[in-house]
Amino acid sequence: MKKRLWQIFGPVVLAALIVLGLLLAPLPNQKLSMQRLHADAVSLSPTVLGGQRIKHQALAKNYVPFYGSSELARMDPFHPSVLAAKYHRAYQPLLLGDPGTQSLVHFVDEQTMMPQLHGKRAVFIVSMQWFTKQGQIPAAFDQYYSPLQLATWLLKAGRGEADRYAARRLLAMGAPAKSIVMRDALYRIAAGQRLTKPQRVGLQAELQALKNEDNLFSTLSISPRWHDIERGMRRLPATDDPAALSTLATQIGKARTTSNNLGIDNDFFNKRLKGKRLKQLAGSQRGFDYRVSPEYGDFQLLLQQFAKANMNVQFIIPPINQKWARYTGLSMPEYEEAVGKLKYQLAEQGFDKVLDLSQKGSQPYFMQDTIHLGWQGWLAVDHVVKPFLTTPQLAPHYQLNDYFYTKAWAQTKTVG
Amino acid sequence: MINLQPYADPKYFVLLLVALLPLMIGLYYGHRLRIYETIVSAAFITLMFTGAKWQQGVALIAYVVYQLLLVAGYARYRQTKNTTPVFVSVVALSILPLVIVKVTPALGPNQSLLGFLGISYLTFKAVQVLMELRDGTIKQLSLGMFLRFMLFMPVISSGPIDRYRRFAQDYEQVPTQSDYVAMLERAVWYLFLGFFYKFILGYVFGTLWLPRLAQAAMVHRGWLDLSPALGLYMYDYAMYLFFDFAGYSLFAVALSLVMGINTPMNFNRPFQAHNIKDFWNRWHMTLSFWFRDFIFMRVTFFIMKHKLIKNRIRISQVAYLINFLVMGFWHGVTWYYIVYGLFHAGAIIINDYWLRFKKKHRKQLPHNRWTEALAIFITFNVVCFSFLIFSGFLDTLWFK
Amino acid sequence: MDTKETVLAILNDLTGEDFAANLDENLFESGLLDSMDTVQLLLELQSQLGVDVPVSEFDRSQWDTPAKIIAKASATA
Repeated sequence: MKKRLWQIFGPVVLAALIVLGLLLAPLPNQKLSMQRLHADAVSLSPTVLGGQRIKHQALAKNYVPFYGSSELARMDPFHPSVLAAKYHRAYQPLLLGDPGTQSLVHFVDEQTMMPQLHGKRAVFIVSMQWFTKQGQIPAAFDQYYSPLQLATWLLKAGRGEADRYAARRLLAMGAPAKSIVMRDALYRIAAGQRLTKPQRVGLQAELQALKNEDNLFSTLSISPRWHDIERGMRRLPATDDPAALSTLATQIGKARTTSNNLGIDNDFFNKRLKGKRLKQLAGSQRGFDYRVSPEYGDFQLLLQQFAKANMNVQFIIPPINQKWARYTGLSMPEYEEAVGKLKYQLAEQGFDKVLDLSQKGSQPYFMQDTIHLGWQGWLAVDHVVKPFLTTPQLAPHYQLNDYFYTKAWAQTKTVG
Repeated sequence: MINLQPYADPKYFVLLLVALLPLMIGLYYGHRLRIYETIVSAAFITLMFTGAKWQQGVALIAYVVYQLLLVAGYARYRQTKNTTPVFVSVVALSILPLVIVKVTPALGPNQSLLGFLGISYLTFKAVQVLMELRDGTIKQLSLGMFLRFMLFMPVISSGPIDRYRRFAQDYEQVPTQSDYVAMLERAVWYLFLGFFYKFILGYVFGTLWLPRLAQAAMVHRGWLDLSPALGLYMYDYAMYLFFDFAGYSLFAVALSLVMGINTPMNFNRPFQAHNIKDFWNRWHMTLSFWFRDFIFMRVTFFIMKHKLIKNRIRISQVAYLINFLVMGFWHGVTWYYIVYGLFHAGAIIINDYWLRFKKKHRKQLPHNRWTEALAIFITFNVVCFSFLIFSGFLDTLWFK
Repeated sequence: MDTKETVLAILNDLTGEDFAANLDENLFESGLLDSMDTVQLLLELQSQLGVDVPVSEFDRSQWDTPAKIIAKASATA
């Protein structure tokens, strides 16, 4: 009978040991091919965003993080990744974001990059659409946050206001509650206490397992988006000439917005808006107010992190398609006040590289659809981003203020 | 607070198996550690309903007390009397909570407070006990056993649906050592097959492919919003549904075996069915057999006995319609679940016409490998289409 | 007619087959008997032999051959 038990459970025990071994052994960080990096840098996949290995290897080369959300997926020929690839710029964008990623996701998911980013530059596209009454939606957070990154943060979190605020917000997201170890650690940080020794050991084991998982499985998915980049590259002129690019952007934008008078890309319009959907959306943004939001505090977490790493960050505030805003009844004065509030938060603390495009929503072919940059809009970004990333920059001087974490600031409607 | 959803992640299995280890050792040496088993079961059921789900936990306790009172009361009554009105009222009272839970979302935006994960499976068990009390096949009902049966932890949330007498017999009888080792062998095999089904195939079909196909089907709309992507969605959803649920059922059976109970299997290669009738003998078997034994057979018995309909074929058709309509409503009060029920009733009625035709013309009709393959192919497609209705995706596609 | 003959006659009515020679044929696996026939079988047993078998008693594995049905009917008659 003993022998039979061994026959039944022996393979199970063996399998368990192999899995444990694979997860807990310190595995080497295998090198990725250049092609792989090209594809992964534009994949917008949660595996890249939350992982460690791919970002680590990209940053070791000439990649620069471009943080953002849904606009990053508008890969027309003037998208930063297309321009950088076509003209062999000294920098290549590492796209970080997808629809639904907001400040809190970026804050968590950039943890493993921070040592590499010290003193480096980055581009950050911040959408006013993040600044809703609810702020980061927990379901979207759950989809994009990475336990690996969270464990990394927890192991270095301290007792300062920023870390306590972050812990409170992360607990509110609910997602980390899946791991008992992480949830307990979050409670301690939120309460302003240090982690206990057993907590640190538990987190370290969990982190090692997650890192190995990232090493073993992060390359299993293949992104199809590199084809979009290549298609865009074929359409661009041979030389990097702003005037020629602008003419082409107008030409392509014109040809692609023939189906409607809202200046929206034909594909987007036909798939997402045409017919009754469009009617339903009339007046749908009436009452949207981006001035009061927990997102301002979450955004402050990022600023604090950038400042701590002494990073030089170019911020970009994209506009809203003016015709669309009018059609959906968005209050422009309130929108402008929200932009003003965000710029105040940046300027007050020494973040002076801000490209405010919020007034450009009515320029022709600036937007690809409702709220996303396209053709001319991407070129406007390039006018600032290219010199920012290719010419010497003065070192920034930041003066952080914890007031921006407070409820009072989240609820402040107007500044100045 | 910790919350553990059954069979959701590897941690759950490790925790559960460690907790069950003393029980396994006991069974191996011929003893059922009843008190220990009760404590472990209670702990894991509690952990299903902690945190944000505490309301469901309260609802579960209230529900079980309510059913216990009904069943105990009826068992007592049945010792001396047996009238139809009392029986019908007790059954109606027994399914009342489920009806409320199912109807509430159809009437307004809120879910009923009476609901909890697994309510329908518990209702099947309670109603079955009431019916058997009425029939006199359960003569002595032990309330302790009834509670164990209702709250048997491996199957509490989604079945398979066991039968009281079968369960009680297993529970009273501790398997011999060699039988128990054979049960453990099956359990290991089912557990790993379940991992493969639910966490690998179910993940590929459900998490990786399904959302993309759904998106493609929403974007490329042709005539009636139909598209090739919708076709792919249909097959993918059918695969996902099977592997996810079959995987889950395998876990439930495996854990039952570990606890020394032979919970019946739920699936038997359903996509190899030769016709719709055959399909229902292979798909979600414990549910379809429950419907067969407690709805279909009873309806036909009633109609025949009271000679309400003379024609046998007509009787079966009426019984099928009632049977599958009830099943449709049980899934939920939405148009697509009800259409799903009617679709299967229709399919099985047509199938019966064909079977009768085949019986009559047995000589003329060819029967070989190819006709069998054709039968499987047709059945598979009919079933996949019914799952497309069931998925509710058409509702999103057409009306949302 | 004794119980055995009666049962065989009922089964003959339902399936069109004579089972006198093969009492151990599995009626469900061969598809000769379906749920409808089963109900009719129970009703016929009741009316012809006075055997009262409730639907819940009907466990397929115990009723799947003519021999088993005869045994069941004799036991409860």
